[in-house]
Amino acid sequence: MPPTTTRTTPDALDAPDEQRDTRVPVTVLTGFLGSGKTTLLNRILTENHGLRIAVIENEFGEVGIDDALVVDAEEEIFEMNNGCICCTVRGDLIRILGALMRRRESFDRILIETTGLADPAPVAQTFFMDDEIAAQLRLDAIVTVADAAHILEHLDEVKPAGVENEAIEQVAFADRIVLNKTDLVDQDRLATVIWRLRSINALADILPARRADIALAEVLDVHAFDLDRVLQTDPAFLTETEHQHDASVTSVGIDLPGELDQRKLDTWLGTLLRTRGVDIFRSKGIVALAGSDRQYVFQGVHMLLEAENGREWRADETRGNRLVFIGRNLDRAELNDSFAACLAPVRGRAKKAGQRAVAGASA
Amino acid sequence: MSGNSTLTTGAGSAIGWTQQVDDAPVAITTADDLIAVAGAGGTAWVLDARDGNPVATMTLPGGLLAADFSADGAHLALTGPNGHALWRRSDRRTLIFETGAWSNAARWSGGRGAAAAYEPRLAVASGRRALIVDAEGTLLWRTDPCPSTVTDLRWLRAGRRLALAAYGGVYCHERHSGAPVAEYRYLGSHLRLAVDPAEKWLCSGNQDASIHIWRIRDAADLTMSGYPDKIARLVFDDTGRYLASDGSPDITLWDFSGKGPEGTRPKMLRAHETVTALAWRPGPDAILASSGDEGRLAVWRAASGRPGTRQRPAVEYEHDEPVTALAWSGPNLLVSAERGGTIRARPHPAR
Repeated sequence: MPPTTTRTTPDALDAPDEQRDTRVPVTVLTGFLGSGKTTLLNRILTENHGLRIAVIENEFGEVGIDDALVVDAEEEIFEMNNGCICCTVRGDLIRILGALMRRRESFDRILIETTGLADPAPVAQTFFMDDEIAAQLRLDAIVTVADAAHILEHLDEVKPAGVENEAIEQVAFADRIVLNKTDLVDQDRLATVIWRLRSINALADILPARRADIALAEVLDVHAFDLDRVLQTDPAFLTETEHQHDASVTSVGIDLPGELDQRKLDTWLGTLLRTRGVDIFRSKGIVALAGSDRQYVFQGVHMLLEAENGREWRADETRGNRLVFIGRNLDRAELNDSFAACLAPVRGRAKKAGQRAVAGASA
Repeated sequence: MSGNSTLTTGAGSAIGWTQQVDDAPVAITTADDLIAVAGAGGTAWVLDARDGNPVATMTLPGGLLAADFSADGAHLALTGPNGHALWRRSDRRTLIFETGAWSNAARWSGGRGAAAAYEPRLAVASGRRALIVDAEGTLLWRTDPCPSTVTDLRWLRAGRRLALAAYGGVYCHERHSGAPVAEYRYLGSHLRLAVDPAEKWLCSGNQDASIHIWRIRDAADLTMSGYPDKIARLVFDDTGRYLASDGSPDITLWDFSGKGPEGTRPKMLRAHETVTALAWRPGPDAILASSGDEGRLAVWRAASGRPGTRQRPAVEYEHDEPVTALAWSGPNLLVSAERGGTIRARPHPAR
């Protein structure tokens, strides 16, 4: 074996994961050139956090950390032969991640740096679509670096018909938005930028920074795609729509008490993602099913959806449903109304509620 | 590498042994009395097939992905994410080509007998192109770029035609033809190529969990789908009757006798959680070795069992670690590698 090309430093950022999931975490770092993405990447690679990080780099030659394991990648987007236009994956990542995993003892986590023009969807879908990768690697979070002084221009840039605005997509897909260079804008401008980012993506945490000076734990240990952490924190629901500058990509939140008929929910969600999956970038939800003591959680990227039973509802909490969709041209009222039609008949709910009250009283 | 290998006596003329290398093996290639083991970290070892003792070692910076010995064992090609390397047996010289291009595979042209009349040429996948070089590594010609990184390649017509697998299909080139002279198109990412010895069928294993098959003569094609996972391993036996593929957990065996597999059911072989390697024993008796990441190595008789039913292996070996690579050194020695670097050669009886 040649000399190892990764770094080990003391003071580990996080203790060994005690959870059963031993898959290698992967962070996807997006952002336009000049946003400060490289500054953040260099911080991640040079700070004393004790993690050995393998970097897959799309923007050639930007990172030159001598002792880091860096692999260059050229974006290769593959359409699958199943007729679903959402099912695009990154062939280059499948290849590189596969090769990296054959030497998995030489690093602790992987960071994928994408170009400012890359569509995050095929990157995320690669982790759902390729079983070999899904078995060994865990997508931890999509982190987008945005330049507070210029992000609005990027978001407002008018593209020719059929061409995506990559800045909007990168904000829409993000689990964390590092809002960089906040010292270059005044407070009013900053508030406008934050409001705009929030209106596109109500799920992401926005982390203000000057020179990408955020705590690395905030972007390296997010577990954004873990079903047991879906909507762990309250998303910033937006109800106000009249001020929206550009409503084409927005977040729609649904917050509805009550219990659902699972069959109706399955049909609703299936139809929604089948017919609108192209426009829905991310979706997450925790819902209550009639007849089940457990939360039902789901999350998706375009048409690809993962769902499972989550933890048990606690006796002291109100059973209800919280969902968030981030997408293009979403009709808030229509989504809310059609979802409400999935509620189970009240008689069934009253009976279940009674049973729970008894169980709670005897506990 | 440990100083001496451990020898164990086995059945038949071949002798078993174990050897330890300091890397995670990703590929084994054999020819004549040599065995080469390629490691993920970039080091390769050439071992003597008779006792496992090291003959040579070399390193390609950036890691290794594949290895191929020329049929006579005189030349070894190694490929990796950062380029390729050539080793020559006569003077044990290694030439390193750090091209910076991802090289998924390399294949020597020619074989024994009539085909050996041609000077061996090496086709190396190099990013989106294939480079065709002589045994000195000198570039003879190169193909135009494919739509994606070249994933696999095969020589046809005794080294006169080269087939490349990439996104969107299989692209065939003839000598000094940068542009393909024939294309077998099918939407999707083609990961692995297999061609039967009679060169009647061209088969690709795909990312979308299917095998695509073309009749080479007229490009008539069919798709075998319904696999649970992508097909990354695909290999014909020496007779050309059986095509073995992964698509975990089952290995499927398609029977190409008669008019081919269209409308037939495959034989299903299950011994692994995830199949890591498939290797047909050289010769006419259609014996397949397979390995898995659970640490099992299995040997199967393709003629046994019925289509549509799950078959049990003829022989099984258990290991504590995932078995990552597999090859036959002649018909009587089965060589396997484990992730921790243990190389085992096991004698296998003639029948």
